[in-house]
Amino acid sequence: MVDNFLTIPHVLVSNSQNYPTEIAMREKQFGVWKTKTWLEVTEEVKAISMSLQSKGVKPKTTVGIIGNNTPRWVIAEIASQTLKGIALGLYADALENEIEYLLELTSCEVVFVEDEEQADKILSLTNLKQKIKIIIYDEEKGMNKYNDERLISYKKLLDHGNSLVKKDSQKFASLLNNISEDDICIFCPTSGTTSKPKLAMISHRSLLNHAKNYLDADPKSSSDEYVSVLPLPWIMEQTYAISKWCLSRMKVNFVEEPETMFDDLREIGPTFLLLGPRTWEQIAADIRSKIMDSSFIKRKLFEFFTMLKRKNNGLIVNVFCEYFLFRSLRDQIGFSYLKSAATGGASLGPDTFKFFVNMGIPLRQLYGQTEQLGAYTIHREKDVNYESVGMPFKGVKIDIDEPDREGLGEIIVMNKNCMNGYFSATNDNANISPDQWFHTGDAGYFDKLGHLVVIDRVSDLSFTSEKLRYSPQYIENKLKFSAFIAEAAVIGSNKPYLSSIICIRYSVLSKWAEQKRVAFTTYSDLASKLDVEELLISEVKKVNQSVPKKQKIRKFVLLYKEFDADDDELTRTKKLRRNFVINKYNDIVEAIYGDQESIQIDTVINLQDGGTQRIQTELNVINME
Amino acid sequence: MSKNMLDLKNISVQFGGIKALADVSFKVEKNTLFSIIGPNGAGKTTLLNVISGRYKPTSGELYYEGKNLTKIHPNKRASLGIGRTFQNLALFDHMTVLENIFIGRHHLLRNDFLKGAVYWILGGQKEEVGNRLEAEKILDFLEISDIRKSIAGTLSYGLRKRVELARAIAINPKLILLDEPMAGMNQEEKEDMARFIIDLNREWNITVIMIEHDMGVVMDISKKIIVLDFGEKIAEGLPEDIVKNERVQQAYLGDDK
Repeated sequence: MVDNFLTIPHVLVSNSQNYPTEIAMREKQFGVWKTKTWLEVTEEVKAISMSLQSKGVKPKTTVGIIGNNTPRWVIAEIASQTLKGIALGLYADALENEIEYLLELTSCEVVFVEDEEQADKILSLTNLKQKIKIIIYDEEKGMNKYNDERLISYKKLLDHGNSLVKKDSQKFASLLNNISEDDICIFCPTSGTTSKPKLAMISHRSLLNHAKNYLDADPKSSSDEYVSVLPLPWIMEQTYAISKWCLSRMKVNFVEEPETMFDDLREIGPTFLLLGPRTWEQIAADIRSKIMDSSFIKRKLFEFFTMLKRKNNGLIVNVFCEYFLFRSLRDQIGFSYLKSAATGGASLGPDTFKFFVNMGIPLRQLYGQTEQLGAYTIHREKDVNYESVGMPFKGVKIDIDEPDREGLGEIIVMNKNCMNGYFSATNDNANISPDQWFHTGDAGYFDKLGHLVVIDRVSDLSFTSEKLRYSPQYIENKLKFSAFIAEAAVIGSNKPYLSSIICIRYSVLSKWAEQKRVAFTTYSDLASKLDVEELLISEVKKVNQSVPKKQKIRKFVLLYKEFDADDDELTRTKKLRRNFVINKYNDIVEAIYGDQESIQIDTVINLQDGGTQRIQTELNVINME
Repeated sequence: MSKNMLDLKNISVQFGGIKALADVSFKVEKNTLFSIIGPNGAGKTTLLNVISGRYKPTSGELYYEGKNLTKIHPNKRASLGIGRTFQNLALFDHMTVLENIFIGRHHLLRNDFLKGAVYWILGGQKEEVGNRLEAEKILDFLEISDIRKSIAGTLSYGLRKRVELARAIAINPKLILLDEPMAGMNQEEKEDMARFIIDLNREWNITVIMIEHDMGVVMDISKKIIVLDFGEKIAEGLPEDIVKNERVQQAYLGDDK
C-alpha cells in the first residue's frame, strides 16, 4: 500500500511508476474484456487534464459527470482533480430538473456525458446555456444530429491532450505540485430521503484516509477483483472505485451495460462485491423464482438442503450441503470466488441476509452516511451477526445519544475523516468540525458483543396510538423477503394498528401467474387479481407469525404501480421515502383506517418512457383477520 | 455512377389473373429514407419482393446503382448490398442471437470448410475475430448486447424484430428493405426502432426503403414517400405533400370528406 500519499492523482502517479504494467481496470466492450494498466490510466488522466486546462478549466471549477460507470468516468474525475477542480457525479437516471438544480447550485461549467441520452438532458437545460461551456460526450452514436459548439467528443479531447503532453511533458508534474491534500475533490449528493439533495464537500485527505481505515478492517490487494455496478456519484462507489482502488490496487471491472451485469459478474468471478439491499433482494428473488421453474427433483433437492442447513450447522451437514447444492448455486450466479461481499445504503432484512450466508456467501453489513464518507462500521471476518451492522473502523467513535433504559437512542458519530461541510453557493465556510459529534438521525443500540444495531430512522421509529413502539423498516424488510413482494411501506404511526401498502414483484409474480394460468395484461391488472391477493395474504401471514402479536399487519393493499425514484417515492439509491409515500397515498391510508372495504382509484401515472397512463380501478383493502 | 440507388421502370407483377403491381416506376436516391405506404393488398410487400429478388416482375426493369438487376438471383443481390427484414419474422428460432447475425455475414467470409482446417495459417482466426467484432458493433448499436447468447425463439416479439434488423445490417448492406419494422410494437419499442432507423440512415449511410402503417412514424422520419393502391402508384413526394394529396386521403386515410 502507498503510505506517503497526498492526493488521488499523486497515488495514481505513484502506482504508475511502481507498477506500470499491472492491470488497473477492465472494461467489457463489444463482448470482450479490455484492460488498462496503471501506466495507461495515468497517461490518459494526464492527457485529459492537459486538454481540459487548454479549454479553460481553472482551479475550483466544478466538473459534472453523468452516465453509467466506465473507465472514462473515473479518468474524467481524476483529471478534474489534477486541475484542482471538483468532480460532481450525477446519477445516470436523474431527471432534467434534478440535474439543473445541482448544476446551477455549483455553477458547473464542464460536463462529461456518456451518450446521446445524457447529452439530450444537458442540452435541454436552456437556462444554463450560458453557464455550461463544454460538454464532452463519450459514445458517438446518435450525436451527429447536434450542431452545438459546446460539444466535443472524448476521443478528440484525448487526442488533443496527447499532443499537448508531447509538446510539454513537464507541465503535468507542475500541475501535481499545485494540488494539496486539503483541496475539495468531490461533491457528493446526500441521498435526501427527506428533501432536495445537499452536496457534501469531501477533501483528498478525508477520502484517502477513510479508505485506509476501511482497508484495515477489510484488507484488499492487487489480486482482488471488484465489479463496479453501484452508481459512481454515491460515496461508497467513490470509496471503492476511486480511493480503495488506487490505495490497494485491486482491479476494478466495469460491466458492459447495466443489463449485462449478472453475465459479466459471472465472467469476472469477483472476490469482493458491494450491492445495495435491493439488488441482493432481487438476486434472492431470482434464485427462488428460477428454482420454481426448475424440475421437480432439483426443486426438492434445493428445499431439502436449505432446510437441512437451517436446522443444523454441523460439519458433516455443511460438507454435504456444500457439495450437493451451494457450490453449484454460487457458481451459477458468479459468486464462486467471493471472499467478502457487502451490503449498504439501506438495511437488508435478516432473512435475506441469512439466506446468502447459508449459501456460503461471506456477506457483511455496512453502515454509514455520505457526510461521514460512507461506511464506517463493518462486520469483521468471522464475526458476522444478522441483526447488527458490525464494529466501527479505526479512528471512528460511535456513541448513543440520550439512551433509554434499553440503551436505545440516536446514533452519534465522530470521524476524523468526515466531510468539510455542505456546499452552499453563498457561504463558503459552512464547515463542520471533525471533533464534533455528528447526529445521524438513526436510532440504534450496542448489543452484548459491542456490535452496533441500527433499528430505523429516529423520526420513523414510531408509536401507534396504543403507545406501541415499532420499527416500520424492520417489518418492511421481513415483508420484502417474500419473493413476491418488491416494496412495502408500513403505516401505523398514531394509528390503532399496523397496515401496509405493498408493491408486488412483477418479474416473479408474472411467472407465477403464467404457471397458474391466471390471465393478466399489465402490472396494475396483475396486482388486482384475486389469486394474487390470496397468495399475498399467505405471504403476509408468514410475516405475521414471526413478529410480536401487536406488530402484526392487520390490513394491506396491493398498489397498482411500483414505487419509483422518478416519482420521488424512492431516493436515487432506492431507499423508501416512507413519509412521502404515506402523504401521497393519503386516500388509501384513510380508506384503510376508515374501515372501507375498497377504494375507487382514478389517477394518472407516469411511465418510464415519458408517456402517461390513466388508471381506473378498485383497490381492495385486504383484512388479515 | 448515377446518384440513384434504385431505379424501377414500369414494373408489373401478375399472379394468374391478378395484377399485384401495374406499371410502377420510381427512383430511390442514395442515402435517403424512403417509405412505401398504402392500404392492405396494395402491393407494397410484392414491391419489396421484386427489389429483393423473391419475385420476378412480369414486365419492366429494375436498376441498382445503374446496373440491371432484373434477372439476378436473390442470393447475389445480398452480395451486392441489399438486405431485408420480413413482415412476419423469419429468424432461426433455435439459434442464438449472435448466430443469427453470423448467418447474415456468411457470404462475406473467405474461409470455407477446407481452409478452416488450417485455421491459424490462412487467417481463419483473424477473420473470425473481425467477424465477431462487426457483429458486436451491431449488437451495441441496436442495444441488444445483453441478449447476445439468448436463443432467438425465446425472446419477446419486439426484441426478435430487432434481431432480424441486426441480421439484415450484418450483410453490410448499402440498401436495406424493411417490411413493417414497427408492426406489433408498443410505443416505447416503436420510438427505439425509429431512432435506430434514423441512425442507420444517417450514421451508417445506409439507404432505407420501408413499408410502415404507423403514419405518425412515416411522416416523421421519411424523406420521401410513395403511395400504392391496388397495385398502382397514386402519389409520390415529400411527407407534407403526401398528407395534402387528395387521392391519398381517399385511398388510404378514408373517404370521409
